[in-house]
Amino acid sequence: MVAPEERKDLHENLLLNRLFEEKVLEVYEDSGIPELPHLSLGQEAVGVGTVFALEEDDWLAPSLRTRAVTLMRLSLRDVVTGMFGTESGPTEGRTTQHHLGSSEANIMGTTGMIGSHLNVAAGAGLTAQQLGEDRVTAVFFGDGAATRGEFHTALNFAAVEDLPVIFVLENNQWIEETRALDVIAAEENISEMSGHNLPKEVIDGQDVDEVLNTVSEAAERARSGDGPTLIEAKTYRYRPHAEVIPERRDEDEIAEWKERDPVELHRDYLLDNAIVDEDWLESTRDSLMEDIEDAFEFAEEDSLPDEEAMYKVYKDTDVDMYGGVR
Amino acid sequence: MKRDERVFLYGEDVADYGGLYQVTEGLRDEIGEDRVFDTPLSETTLGGTAVGAALTGTRPVVEIMFGDFLSIIADHLINYAAKMHFNYSDDTSVPLVVRTTYGAGDQFGLHHSQDPISWFQNVPGLKMIAPSTPADYKGLLKSAVRDDDPVIFFENKQRYDLSGEVPDGDHTVPIGEADIKRSGKDMTIVAIGGMVDVALDAAESLANQGYDCEVIDPRTVMPLDKETIIESVKKTHALTVVHEAARFGGIGGEIASEVADEALFYLDAPVKRVGAPFTPVPFAENLEQMYLPGAQDVETAVIDALE
Repeated sequence: MVAPEERKDLHENLLLNRLFEEKVLEVYEDSGIPELPHLSLGQEAVGVGTVFALEEDDWLAPSLRTRAVTLMRLSLRDVVTGMFGTESGPTEGRTTQHHLGSSEANIMGTTGMIGSHLNVAAGAGLTAQQLGEDRVTAVFFGDGAATRGEFHTALNFAAVEDLPVIFVLENNQWIEETRALDVIAAEENISEMSGHNLPKEVIDGQDVDEVLNTVSEAAERARSGDGPTLIEAKTYRYRPHAEVIPERRDEDEIAEWKERDPVELHRDYLLDNAIVDEDWLESTRDSLMEDIEDAFEFAEEDSLPDEEAMYKVYKDTDVDMYGGVR
Repeated sequence: MKRDERVFLYGEDVADYGGLYQVTEGLRDEIGEDRVFDTPLSETTLGGTAVGAALTGTRPVVEIMFGDFLSIIADHLINYAAKMHFNYSDDTSVPLVVRTTYGAGDQFGLHHSQDPISWFQNVPGLKMIAPSTPADYKGLLKSAVRDDDPVIFFENKQRYDLSGEVPDGDHTVPIGEADIKRSGKDMTIVAIGGMVDVALDAAESLANQGYDCEVIDPRTVMPLDKETIIESVKKTHALTVVHEAARFGGIGGEIASEVADEALFYLDAPVKRVGAPFTPVPFAENLEQMYLPGAQDVETAVIDALE
């Protein structure tokens, strides 16, 4: 349950995610962004609700669409310079914002191999178990990743070893431009594919409260040694898989999902319960926009990195670019 | 494992059974079942979880029963383990060790006999070790476990019954330092892993025929101690490289190229590469023996170069 005093903070994060993605789309269409946007518009409640439910030292392994993870764990300047690959960016242009890792922010690095982070997240659970740490790991992935062996092998291992891991399946109905249920042997829910012995929850991913409560319960189970949970959050992305792909989904389907917009649903809840008023919403929006604009201006002015930035291959050995020992 | 509680070991059949080759026999009883345990038959899980554990503060040692199965965890090794130090905003690295067996000679067939070292030699971020003696096995394995980067540790199946002096106590061998196994003035033979013994046998026989060979064991394939090799070639003016993998595309070609770059005009003879033919490892006893590079192949190559 979200305490009333936390409601504003929760909404700010939802709003930040929404406004940020809208800004990314605007800049991308207007003047371009080096990192091809894979926008989370429509799916904000899953990422925001999950991160909000967890502690700062819990590990997060995002999918490339879980923008909430970087937005809630890094500064806006880090996120935007990360997308631009400039010298002030968190990895000085070595990698994209999608995949970067940061142990300071407890964000696990990922790769462009969709779903390969599922067992990696289970490995973070092994660390918690080995070192007796009270930390859980949340790993986000889509319906597409659930068709890989990674999904089945990670769930099996996490369940058999009681690893403190929360598997957050963001079922946005579409695998790139293919309807998920056309290529998945399930009647209705992707999690039907898992016959593993662990708790499975199918939830409304547009309802941030439902996400938050389900993740909180899963985290409690994980922390008390009761192992992993698979959460399938039903959601929808308003944009194509990536901005380079033309939209070919049915307009009515998109419109129907927009009627249950996750940010608006929570805004209505706040207004109906008189937790905030229109003035608060407007001033919050203005202040977030100011920060976002500032981050984009900063990144657009920032220089590209020096050559030295890309030579960060080994931690322990000084190896020259041709493999010999220096 | 006694020295560092962050180290744990897991894999298929490693705990209860002690590993297919009994390398970890008794370890679970000594260290405890929380830190030495069996896993499902899923290299995908082994590779992925080892990366995740290493990224978050432990130092996993994972056994991949046959080197051939590295193909299954290639994604986690190539895209994850090798790249995360680069991909992180801070000093995070992937201190994992993948122990695996490799090599032909047991009639295990084409999927349990390969030398996969070359599959990974073009991947910046990985380290690869192939010891040839019991002492180096101990010293290099300790160094691998203590190293902050991902290491693949290649154990040659044919050399498990090899015996030799092993220093007591905290004996370590630095990663990236070659060992000159035999000194000589006529030919430098660089041999990898299980081929070191083959090269030494050949060198003995060649000595009786009047050829004085220097045998170098790089011990670490990546990073490669090219200085020791180049210094040797400057002295002997000739180079033969020996490895078990197919000759074409193997690490031998890379060593030859480094020598060509830095010591071409010291060479008085053509560079020779000894390796397997460009074919999968065959099953039949005679075919497998023909496939495996042997001392006779090394002798022929050396004499061919020097005459």
